[in-house]
Amino acid sequence: MPPSSDWSERSRDLSQLLARAGSGDRAAFAALYERSSAHLFAVVLRICRDRAQAEDILQEVYVNVWRAASGFDAAQSQPLTWLTSIARNRAIDSLRRARTQPQIRANTFSDDEDSDVYDATADDNPGPLELLSRAADARALSHCMQDLSAPQRQSVALAFYDGLSHAEVAEKMGEPLGTVKSWVRRALMSLKACLERASERDSAIGKDA
Amino acid sequence: MDYSRAALADHLAAEYVSGSLRGPARRRFEALLPAHPRLRAAVREWQSRLMPLTVSIEPRKPPAAVWKRIEARIGGATPPPARTSWWSQLALWRGVSAFASIAAIGLAVLLSSPGPAQPPVVVVLSATGAAGGAVVPASFVASISGDGRALVTRPLVNVSLQADRALELWALPGSGAPRSLGLISASGATVVKKGKVLEGATGLAVSLEPAGGSPTGAPTGPVLYVGKLQI
Repeated sequence: MPPSSDWSERSRDLSQLLARAGSGDRAAFAALYERSSAHLFAVVLRICRDRAQAEDILQEVYVNVWRAASGFDAAQSQPLTWLTSIARNRAIDSLRRARTQPQIRANTFSDDEDSDVYDATADDNPGPLELLSRAADARALSHCMQDLSAPQRQSVALAFYDGLSHAEVAEKMGEPLGTVKSWVRRALMSLKACLERASERDSAIGKDA
Repeated sequence: MDYSRAALADHLAAEYVSGSLRGPARRRFEALLPAHPRLRAAVREWQSRLMPLTVSIEPRKPPAAVWKRIEARIGGATPPPARTSWWSQLALWRGVSAFASIAAIGLAVLLSSPGPAQPPVVVVLSATGAAGGAVVPASFVASISGDGRALVTRPLVNVSLQADRALELWALPGSGAPRSLGLISASGATVVKKGKVLEGATGLAVSLEPAGGSPTGAPTGPVLYVGKLQI
């Protein structure tokens, strides 16, 4: 995987394709799919797990993108951000129908801040905590992570990467729902300041384009 | 609850974008988005903050069959033409919430067969889904006289509005800014006589405005209904 601080750069590549797709250019749309579908598919797969369903969702996402491409406003949003949001929303929407039996294991929370029991997944995919940590590294946000307690990191990573609801996170972490809610909330608010600085940095980089 | 409060908007948007807002609360939030610019802005900000965190997810190439299916689905369709900016925001929202296809919003147009007598044209203005806390979803019907000089609007189901809100009708030209056709009734028929204002219009839209209508001469609230005009 290439170093991933190039979100803005990748977005710039995509914005031309998206603009052309918006005016009906099928070749541009095909190129857009070629360049973005592996990312979107991976995002969707993490949340909904079922491969066939993830493929259906991906299909819906791109049909929607084709239809809505002319309405994309590059001044408001980066293409990759926009695309990823659409894919995540679709995947999360599918959960309320599909996830009748969430894969939940009750775990006793460990006192050891560095232990990562939630990363023990059945497949070889990195766990949500690992993803959060890699993303933080890639985005030069590691210092933000230090502001968060271990359970805050875990709860927000489970919710964001794996699409778990508060209740599912609570069950998985073996903690009360109210506690988990406030962890997620505090983690998000505490990330906000750091992430804002990062996005300011990104837009500053973007200005020379 | 006052959804315009900045802190609340920010908190809800954070939960929505992070994915932890679920079930009926999530759907309620999505229904509120079109009518609440502050919520939409908060969502966009959280998306720019959080979406880049997905870079650490290892890409997974989808099977070729997915693209084939997409290609088949978009084969005959031509995406709608570019719109003006307020219009784009609506489309952006639709894309982001990803549950309304433009085809669905796009509007059944019932067109009488053209004849020498220029019979009236009936346009159905479909709900955009922007019906949040302010109004109930419904559709409007606009009957336009054959000469395009007058039209009558009527909601299919009465729309309940907050007391300080009004519905304003707009003619959408092929290019350029929408032109106001005045306020229309949320519960009964409104006759609009504006000379040749419909000339060059390619669609009609109804936006939610402060009582008395848009203070700026352009739509300021969410566009609740749109219909395509094919005269």
